[in-house]
Amino acid sequence: MGADVDDAYLVQRAREGYLDAYADLVDRHGQLAYRVALRLLGNHHDAEDVAQEALVTAWQQLPRFKANSRFSTWLYRIVTRKAMNRITRTPPTESLDLLGDVPETGDEPSQRTERNQTVDAVTKAVAALPPPQRIAVVLRHFEGLSNAEIARITHSTIPAVRSHLFRGRRTLSQTLQEWR
Amino acid sequence: MTDPGQPVRDIRQLLNGTTRHLACGADIDELLEQAADGHAGQLTGHQRHCPHCQAALPEFTRVWEPVRSLAAEHVAVPSALKTAVASQIRKLIADVWYTLQPSDSGAIRIAAHVVATIAREAARNVPGVRAAFGRSAHSTTAGPAEEAILRHRHPHAAAGVLGRTAVVDLAIAAQYDAPLDAIAREVQQRAIAELRTKTGLHDVTVNVTIDDVIT
Repeated sequence: MGADVDDAYLVQRAREGYLDAYADLVDRHGQLAYRVALRLLGNHHDAEDVAQEALVTAWQQLPRFKANSRFSTWLYRIVTRKAMNRITRTPPTESLDLLGDVPETGDEPSQRTERNQTVDAVTKAVAALPPPQRIAVVLRHFEGLSNAEIARITHSTIPAVRSHLFRGRRTLSQTLQEWR
Repeated sequence: MTDPGQPVRDIRQLLNGTTRHLACGADIDELLEQAADGHAGQLTGHQRHCPHCQAALPEFTRVWEPVRSLAAEHVAVPSALKTAVASQIRKLIADVWYTLQPSDSGAIRIAAHVVATIAREAARNVPGVRAAFGRSAHSTTAGPAEEAILRHRHPHAAAGVLGRTAVVDLAIAAQYDAPLDAIAREVQQRAIAELRTKTGLHDVTVNVTIDDVIT
C-alpha cells in the first residue's frame, strides 16, 4: 500500500514519528543502500553493516533532509560516505564471500565456475580502484547515474567526476584485459 | 599516438595511460566511455568512415563486457536488513514499551509498535485508503509516572501503550474522490475491532488523521 505514495510523503510521515513510514522507505531503498555498499566494498559482510548504518543514520538525520532533494540521492550520499569511512578505517582484507549474491542460473558447473571467476575478477578490480574513481565508476556504471547526479552526491563538479571516470575506466579496463 | 597507418591491434597499447588519442585523433577516453555506456554501435559521422575507431570500439566493448554483466546482476538484499534497521531505530528512540495484561498464569506483553502495526494493517484494508501509518501513543489520561516517561522520550518516538490502555494515531492518505468522513469512521471501527481481537485490549482509542488525498 505504501507503493501508492511518493517518497516525499513517506519522508514527511517518518519525520512526524510514524516509524512504519520509514520502514516503507527502507523497503524501497534498502536494496540501493546494500547494492552500492557491496560494489564499493566488495564483500557482503561489510556491505550489510554499512547499509544498516547508512539507513539508521538517514533516519537520525531526517530533520536535516531538504524537502526539495530526492531521498535516493541523499541515501546515495550517506552510503558512499559510510563506505569510504570503512575503507580508510580498515586495512584491505582478502574477501571470502564475493560470490554470495550470485543467483543460481542453471548453468553447467564449468560455466558457473567461469562466471563466478568473472564476477570475482570484476569485483576485485572495482574494489582496487582509488576511492574517488571507485565511487564514480560504481554510481555511473552500476547504478546508471548521470555525471551531474554523481557530482551532487559527492559534492563535486561534473569535470572532476568526468576525470575520475576516465581514469577509473582505463584502470579497470587494463586490469580486466590482463585478466582475460 | 599510435602508428598513423595501422588500426590498433593491441588494446594494451591504448589502455596503458600514455596514449590519449587514436591515430585518427579520436579521444580514447571518450571511445571507452561510449563502449562502457553500451553505445559502441551508435557511430558518429567520423566513426562511420574511420577504421581506427571501428577497430577500437568492439575491443573496448569486449573488455568492458564483464562490468556490464556484473552491473546487470540482481543483488539480493539480506533478509535481516530491514528488521535490523527497525530494531536499531526502536532502541534509539526507546520505543520499547509494552502493553501489560497480568493474569493468573503470568503477564502478557505486546510491544507498542506491534499494536501500531495491527491498527495500520486494519486501516489499509478499508476501501478508499491509499496509505496508512500507525503510531501508538500514550493515553492523554496517563498518570504521573507515565507523564514522566513521556517527558523523557525522543520526540520521534512511537510512544508505547500502557497497561491495558492503547491509544493509536493513524495517519491516512485517502483516495481523492472517496467520502472522507465515512472512511475515517470505518478505519476507527476496523482498527479497534482488530486490536480487541488480536491483543485482547479493550480500552482502545484510535485517532484518525486524514492528512493527504491522492488522485
